[in-house]
Amino acid sequence: MTFLRLDNIKKNYGDASVIKGVSFAAAKGEFVVFVGPSGCGKSTLLRMIAGLEDVSEGQLYIDGKDVTYEEPAKREVSMVFQSYALYPHMNVFENMAFGLRMAKRPEAEIKAQVAEAARILQLEHLLDRKPRALSGGQRQRVAIGRSIVRHPKLFLFDEPLSNLDAELRSQMRVEIAKLHRSLGATMVYVTHDQVEAMTLADRIVVLRAGLVEQIGSPTELYDKPANTFVAGFIGSPKMNFINAKVSSASGTGLRLDHPAFAGGTLGVDTPAAARAKVGDTVTVGMRPEHLTVGAANPVLSLTLDFAESLGGSTQLYARSEGEPVIALTAGRPELKPGDTLNLGIDPRHIYLFNAAGLAL
Amino acid sequence: MRGKILHAIGLAAIVVFTLFPFVWMVMASFKTQSDILASPPVWLFTPTLQNYVDIFADTKVSGAIVNSLIVATLSTLLSVILGTPAAFALARYDFRGKSDLWFWFISNRMTSPIVLALPVYLLAMYANLLDTHIVLILIYLTFNIPIVVWIVTDQFKSIPPDLEQAARLDGADQFTIFRKIYLPLGAPGIAVSAIFSFIFSWNELLYALVLTRRNVQTAPVVATSFMSGYELPWGKIMATGTVIVLPVTIFALIVSRHMVRGLTMGATK
Repeated sequence: MTFLRLDNIKKNYGDASVIKGVSFAAAKGEFVVFVGPSGCGKSTLLRMIAGLEDVSEGQLYIDGKDVTYEEPAKREVSMVFQSYALYPHMNVFENMAFGLRMAKRPEAEIKAQVAEAARILQLEHLLDRKPRALSGGQRQRVAIGRSIVRHPKLFLFDEPLSNLDAELRSQMRVEIAKLHRSLGATMVYVTHDQVEAMTLADRIVVLRAGLVEQIGSPTELYDKPANTFVAGFIGSPKMNFINAKVSSASGTGLRLDHPAFAGGTLGVDTPAAARAKVGDTVTVGMRPEHLTVGAANPVLSLTLDFAESLGGSTQLYARSEGEPVIALTAGRPELKPGDTLNLGIDPRHIYLFNAAGLAL
Repeated sequence: MRGKILHAIGLAAIVVFTLFPFVWMVMASFKTQSDILASPPVWLFTPTLQNYVDIFADTKVSGAIVNSLIVATLSTLLSVILGTPAAFALARYDFRGKSDLWFWFISNRMTSPIVLALPVYLLAMYANLLDTHIVLILIYLTFNIPIVVWIVTDQFKSIPPDLEQAARLDGADQFTIFRKIYLPLGAPGIAVSAIFSFIFSWNELLYALVLTRRNVQTAPVVATSFMSGYELPWGKIMATGTVIVLPVTIFALIVSRHMVRGLTMGATK
């Protein structure tokens, strides 16, 4: 059942169009992540859902109700800000109680709700502290606590982990995932970090320049990216792209020419390949983690630039005719710069895109 | 280490320089006229309370202090009450004519008071307000509201907008946001502007001289009134000066507690 629905939402600042028509629906209890590079409009979109930004055009529904022009407080949403936005002059208890006080709930209920949130987030011993006496992770927890005490219909997160160090970030990521599971609430989460998007989301909305590039589950986006932008954005290190020319096509078989390919040519035989014609330029995508070093019948024959050992795995940087290629391999292969690198790949892991960047 | 010593010497020099006139005034208030005029100056002398006895024997001084208190307190209070909402609007809202309004506030302070002394006198006369508390309070408001608006707008601008938005999502209306977020977090700026307003109103001489007669003479007016053509009773003038400075000093000490910086620390990041 649709719980949150965006219907051709647009946002203009004067003549500048920031969101150019986003439509999207989320089911109750779903964890949706908006992801995209900075400036893609993901935060603006979230703030429009919250009611902190006016909607220039389009309709917004929460729980079946049109809230496009509704006051933020009446939408029954809560938001965790990137900066946490804790009230510095109030202690942790008052920070969490503020919303309930605004709603004029009885004191006993306020105490019970805050105590419950503090228990879930392990903040019980910090209730008397002011925000400045808390660590980054604790402030983050208070910000989340403030949003859960009111039992909102919808939780909004605006890059909540970007101010934390790497270790704390992965720890909080797990906690947010747990929280989502235990509350069963609908959550919309904005991030530019594709790892956060992949690990947290039920569904990811990839945005670029105010437009939706693709909507799907994390694995869908990884396995079937709609275009080169999504293919390059999802996955780390990023997908390798090689622009090749189609030299011959027969049925589903395709022959692609590029100096990087072993023997200067690559044969692809998939249903997607049938959509290309002789003479077309086709972008071939290969994920670094799908490339294997020292394969029996290599597809790529390159010169190694340098290798980075990550301990358990090694990241190899190679190039051929100006196209840099990254490969990720387990262990520590005995290679030195200048060596010829023969890389193989399972044909099922070859992605093909047309000249416009759309998946074939 | 050497830097620290130089730093201390520099600070000491500034302290001596700024406090010396004050110390001189307080000392002179306890001296007899002949000790005051002695050359070279007398540092050790038998203190006398005669000057204070003299000025308080005259009800003019105590009455003037009461007048000053009424005028300064009310005009400070009113300028804070009227100035902080204006500052909130200027800090957080965009509206037509905002920059003009802002300039108008500032330009009020650019005018030399004496330029307006005559028109203000005539206005007060026609309005039948000469020699009343109200006329001084109103005139001081025109000086104090800009100070409050200036300082407090700046202070309000430094409050992260996220806080206001968080409060809006929490269900707070504009007035609640102003009262529960902006006023407490802007307290340092409000306190500073209140001190400035109070000191200004307390010390102001020109308009107090022009607009008052007998009933509402303020303390500075009375202090200068001791200067007659035939004598300069320095002891009385200095004693009155000391009495004038005292309340402002106490007031500043009370409010300075709120001037602690970094109150907004911990709000974000």
